[in-house]
Amino acid sequence: MGRGINKAVIVGTLGNDPEIKYAANGNAVVNVSVATNESWKDRDTGQAQERTEWHRIVMFGKLGEIAQQYLKKGSQAYFEGRIRTNKWQDADGNDRYSTQIVANEMQMLGRKADNERAG
Amino acid sequence: MARGVNKAIIVGTLGQDPEIRYTANGGAVANISVATNESWRDKATGEAQERTEWHRIVMFGKLAEIAQQYLKKGSQAYFEGRIQTRKWQDQQGNDKYSTEIVANEMQMLGGRAGGGGGAPMDSGGPSQGQSKPAPKDTAPMDDGFDDIPF
Repeated sequence: MGRGINKAVIVGTLGNDPEIKYAANGNAVVNVSVATNESWKDRDTGQAQERTEWHRIVMFGKLGEIAQQYLKKGSQAYFEGRIRTNKWQDADGNDRYSTQIVANEMQMLGRKADNERAG
Repeated sequence: MARGVNKAIIVGTLGQDPEIRYTANGGAVANISVATNESWRDKATGEAQERTEWHRIVMFGKLAEIAQQYLKKGSQAYFEGRIQTRKWQDQQGNDKYSTEIVANEMQMLGGRAGGGGGAPMDSGGPSQGQSKPAPKDTAPMDDGFDDIPF
């Protein structure tokens, strides 16, 4: 049987500056929170509705370093990757799950002014 | 500002038969769990590694009814939709979050063994014109998310 496809594409706006950490082997791990919006008209009232979806996106290695260097809060960017759910335990020992997108591709979007140029 | 793009594409295998429920207004809600696998070779040991990722996928309305009718445990299918994270409270009142894919497109794939009840399946998927009486006598529910396993 095939392995299947697990793909996510997000184009959105960063809610925070990228947070960079380094793994024990020196590899960069960068986390960003990215917002997408959906809007629709309420069927009953006809009023415009909007909902913001926040996506936790993580990048590793060189891509993580590039993201940390060029993206900041408010930047618009394209991300492509796979969806991953991690299991962890809270302080009371209860199982918790958190889902994030592990991006393997990123492109900066929007006006130049939106993205801080390093050098 | 642009609204952005929020898209997920999953091709995988159902871990269980679809669970279908109906909202108070008669709309169908189908929940399924779909597995995808990734495999890689451990850099240090050279050993083959594999990880299964489980995706919670939810479908509404006609699409949910089609999924319930034609998909079952072991079926392979293509899903396209958006990623949605919902906040909910457990019995102790703690905030919890669960992420799922709200699919707006589904196509059945793979062997006929995955189809249900010997119904003939064409590769283009079931016709949208098929009608099935919508059960209305099901217990009303808020949104179908009352027992989140995540």
